[in-house]
Amino acid sequence: MMRNKTGLLIAGAFVLVVLVLGLSVAGSYNGLVRLDQATEAQWAQVENTYQRRADLVPNLVETVKGASNFEKETLTAVTEARAKVGQVTSGAVQNVVNDPAAFERFQQAQDQLSSALSRLMVVVERYPDLKATQNFRDLQSQLEGTENRIAVERMRFNEAAQAFNTKRNSFPTVLVAGLFGERFQSKAYFKSQPGAEKAPAVKF
Amino acid sequence: MRAGFALLILLLATAFAGAAETPIPAAPARWVTDDAGFMSVDAARSLDRKLEAFALATGRQFIVYIGKTTGGPPIEDWAVRAFEAWKVGRKGLDDGIALFIMADDHQVRIEVGYGLEPQVTDLAASRIIREIIVPRIQAGDHDGAVTAGAAAIAHLLSPEGIGQSDGTSRQPRGPGTQGRSFSIWQLIVFGIIGVLFLILLVTHPSLAIFLLMNVLSSGRRRGSDNSGGWGGGGFGGGGGRSGGGGASGSW
Repeated sequence: MMRNKTGLLIAGAFVLVVLVLGLSVAGSYNGLVRLDQATEAQWAQVENTYQRRADLVPNLVETVKGASNFEKETLTAVTEARAKVGQVTSGAVQNVVNDPAAFERFQQAQDQLSSALSRLMVVVERYPDLKATQNFRDLQSQLEGTENRIAVERMRFNEAAQAFNTKRNSFPTVLVAGLFGERFQSKAYFKSQPGAEKAPAVKF
Repeated sequence: MRAGFALLILLLATAFAGAAETPIPAAPARWVTDDAGFMSVDAARSLDRKLEAFALATGRQFIVYIGKTTGGPPIEDWAVRAFEAWKVGRKGLDDGIALFIMADDHQVRIEVGYGLEPQVTDLAASRIIREIIVPRIQAGDHDGAVTAGAAAIAHLLSPEGIGQSDGTSRQPRGPGTQGRSFSIWQLIVFGIIGVLFLILLVTHPSLAIFLLMNVLSSGRRRGSDNSGGWGGGGFGGGGGRSGGGGASGSW
């Protein structure tokens, strides 16, 4: 009778421990899923804004081409960078957020387009006639707006990724994340472009 | 517009990397805030009333904020953070819009909430700045720059724009005020509820009082929810977000 009672007590304690463990694992798992989804959603925003820019490029190239003897190399660089971006973002690479190498490639291609575009805008300064056209000014303001959106969404992506990584790598969630292996990998961040940390000397 | 595009990108990249330190002022209480003495007081007050009426009529929050300087970061970065901190626009709709002017920086920006991006494109915002706001500021007409700029933005948001009503003639308060006279059926229903309540009050007094308090307090809560502007209320953000849409310019 006595032994029976002790056994019952031990079994009860065991069930309780398993229950508490299970609940906390479930809680950690759900927390990770929530932050993971937030990162994915923010990534979609990032892709949208980049796509918006890519969509502007053909129009821009067409407009600039119209200007008499516009520097060929600059245009070629933009067109090539645009094509590269198309390859990186097309369906071939699905899981960019969870694949650091793919993320790196994506960022590299986009940064290349950024610098090609900014070079184009610098060169345009030498063509006052082109710069003065309404069409070009409109494209320029759209491009500026898009670059600003990209900066905002990238920043928000980094925040979302940081929230996920902090949760994922802190104890005890890190144990839970380990249980699921590939499912919860640390996310990569956008890094500012090389040279961007130096403030330019010219003032607006 | 004068500056190189490359610089803009560089500035943006730098700014977003380490700009979190520059503080954003507390959310303004009015629709038009001029901390730089940029406009005349009369013009600011008149525009404030128009924007208040605009928010009442359309539900869309449109604020004007004039400061001296962002304190370093480009206005694009400052604007998106202020917009988020002040929660311009209604929660879930993100249909707010803000016109920022930094008098000492000589910078102007239109920041568009996510929900208004279809109405106010970057292109339209840029044109308003280039063609309406900047030329007037350069000509020394500060009041005209802000007022005409705000009118042009409001016109994009609703065909009536602002200006017809200056906030003094307010329409009656929608659903709450109409239907004050009850039909016979409503009276019967109220009567039954009243009798049931009285029975409850006798049998379970504490429960009845609890219910009564609940009903009353929820009624009050609902009342304060849409108080945005009634009785001379000012601007109060709802939770709008922006994704950097809009345009900026300088003079």
